[in-house]
Amino acid sequence: MHLKHLSLTNFRNFARLDIDLPRRVILLVGNNAQGKTSILEAIYFLASFTSFQTNTDRQMVNFVEAKNSLAVARLVADYQRGRRNHHLEARLILEPTGTNGQRLRKEVLLDGVKKQMNDVIGHFNAVIFVPQMSAIIEDGPDGRRRYLNLALAQAVPAYASVWSDYNQALSQRNALLKALNESAALSLSKGGGSGDQLEVWDEALARLGAQIIQWRIEAVQQIERLAARVHHELTHGREVLRLNYQPAYDPLPPLSMKLTTDTDRSALKADDIRKGFLTRLKEIRSEEIARGVTTIGPHRDELRFLANGIDLGDYGSRGQIRTTLLALKLAEVNWMKERTGEWPVILLDEVMAELDLQRRADLLKYVGESEQVLFTATNEHMFAPEFVEKSEVWKVEDGTVKKD
Amino acid sequence: MLLPEPIQKLINAFERLPGIGPKSASRLAFYLLRAPEDVAQDLSEALNGLKDKIAFCEECFNITEAGHPRCEVCENPKRDSAVICVVEEALDVLALERVGAYNGKYHVLHGVLSPIEGVGPDDIKIKPLIERVARGGVKEIILATNPSMEGDATALYLQQQLRPHKIQVTRLARGLPVGGDLEYADQNTLLRALSGRQEMS
Ligand SMILES: Nc1ncnc2c1ncn2[C@@H]1O[C@H](COP(=O)(O)OP(=O)(O)OP(=O)(O)O)[C@@H](O)[C@H]1O
Ligand SMILES: [Mg+2]
Ligand SMILES: [Zn+2]
Repeated sequence: MHLKHLSLTNFRNFARLDIDLPRRVILLVGNNAQGKTSILEAIYFLASFTSFQTNTDRQMVNFVEAKNSLAVARLVADYQRGRRNHHLEARLILEPTGTNGQRLRKEVLLDGVKKQMNDVIGHFNAVIFVPQMSAIIEDGPDGRRRYLNLALAQAVPAYASVWSDYNQALSQRNALLKALNESAALSLSKGGGSGDQLEVWDEALARLGAQIIQWRIEAVQQIERLAARVHHELTHGREVLRLNYQPAYDPLPPLSMKLTTDTDRSALKADDIRKGFLTRLKEIRSEEIARGVTTIGPHRDELRFLANGIDLGDYGSRGQIRTTLLALKLAEVNWMKERTGEWPVILLDEVMAELDLQRRADLLKYVGESEQVLFTATNEHMFAPEFVEKSEVWKVEDGTVKKD
Repeated sequence: MLLPEPIQKLINAFERLPGIGPKSASRLAFYLLRAPEDVAQDLSEALNGLKDKIAFCEECFNITEAGHPRCEVCENPKRDSAVICVVEEALDVLALERVGAYNGKYHVLHGVLSPIEGVGPDDIKIKPLIERVARGGVKEIILATNPSMEGDATALYLQQQLRPHKIQVTRLARGLPVGGDLEYADQNTLLRALSGRQEMS
């Protein structure tokens, strides 16, 4: 993947930016608050149609522009994928709602044709790494599910739309469970048809959920293999990294869960998972009606990181977590290359400052194999002079980019 | 500045219509404000006539002119009463009729199951369909709800409810563009979908 040209309009502090990007390592250097992270955020947005920083999609629109009743931020990428050139445009549109508010609408055009976002995710690929992402390992399961979703959406073409369908089925099912719960409380029986109705949403939930579970099983296994290899090298063989996927509906029989040795779910087929999921939903039906909410399924999955059998989320040292995150991100890069045949554009925000000299050298060695890498730093001395020599160094200053 | 209430009311009314966002709603309202008198007049007469002059067919719930208890299709003795095609909206009947390849009858549900919107089986025309089947003479039901999640769920629900009646139930094959509604599908696609319909197990 080679991002050849990036054009931003009213994106964060860039009123307008137009840059050609070479197929190599690019260092974006500048003082604080000049726009370095914003450039990486923009590139990542074109791969995922969301900010890597949660819940800030509307904040990406330049705030002077956002004062207009109709405000538009525009991100355009020209890139080469395989042998072909493509043109991808994303628009963030803040438009007035009936009652003096504003709502954000996103539009995506691939090669000039308006498309559904879910169908375009993963056409342009990028992996982003910022040190704050250690939250993936340390904080709650939401962040880990988001991590899995964003990685899978780029690598598996149908993932994004199946995931959004799953969530639609989930909302419908939750609405029905809530209604059944309320009518049960009033001891109203809605003509006996209520169980039949639930069955319909059980079907949809199980079919879509099973597909998600199967993709996640496969992805976690592949990423684990790659991450463990990098991690092994980074720790000079002292630590063994494991990624422990814990699906909220576990297609494995409960007995084998107790054998901590191997929980291999890789042989499971989506259709078998679906059947098991459906059976389980029937078993817990009355409990779910009593709680008025769906209690199992991939919206509640968990992923744990273990080094030498110790859970890093609970017991990891800062250094261990940093190393694991680095291994995870490098694995994600390689995994995407394996799955799609293309190197994703690698985006690294202020990662050098957090790493010791040895780790910096390790990182540069690994990313050196790929196609295009963008680093940000406040100071180019974070990088070895030989490395700077081989790289393109650009100065980011108050919403502008100057080539050195 | 606050909009005068009559305009705001009209904008709100337009906004409640499917496919109309706040911007188009305002544009329509302001258009009517400055358009010649007869444009607004025609519209209001048409709206008033809608509820008075149009009724629903007693048998299939397709639209019919007021005073006619049954629709054109149900009235037509050449149509095969043994086959019923179940659709979401009366517009879907029009789309299928335009193809001209279908000779059975219809059943219009007037909606789909959607717990989020509080729409359950009793809120759409499911019971009348089951009753129609129970009266006998029906051999095949074609479920032609849209290939959306709610359309699929409704089809599945109907299939379950029809199971005791031992008739053939088929679902329109998915030659339809994903997310595309029946009424917009081109005729060729519909024709292929019709001939490729599959039995539901
Ligand atoms: N919607 C917006 N409109 C205009 N400016 C914004 C918007 N959002 C953020 N900014 C500003 O853009 C500037 C650039 O932010 P960015 O995070 O890209 O800086 P940076 O160069 O990465 O800085 P640091 O070295 O501190 O990480 C900041 O001053 C920020 O306040
Ligand atoms: Mg920054
Ligand atoms: Zn009729």
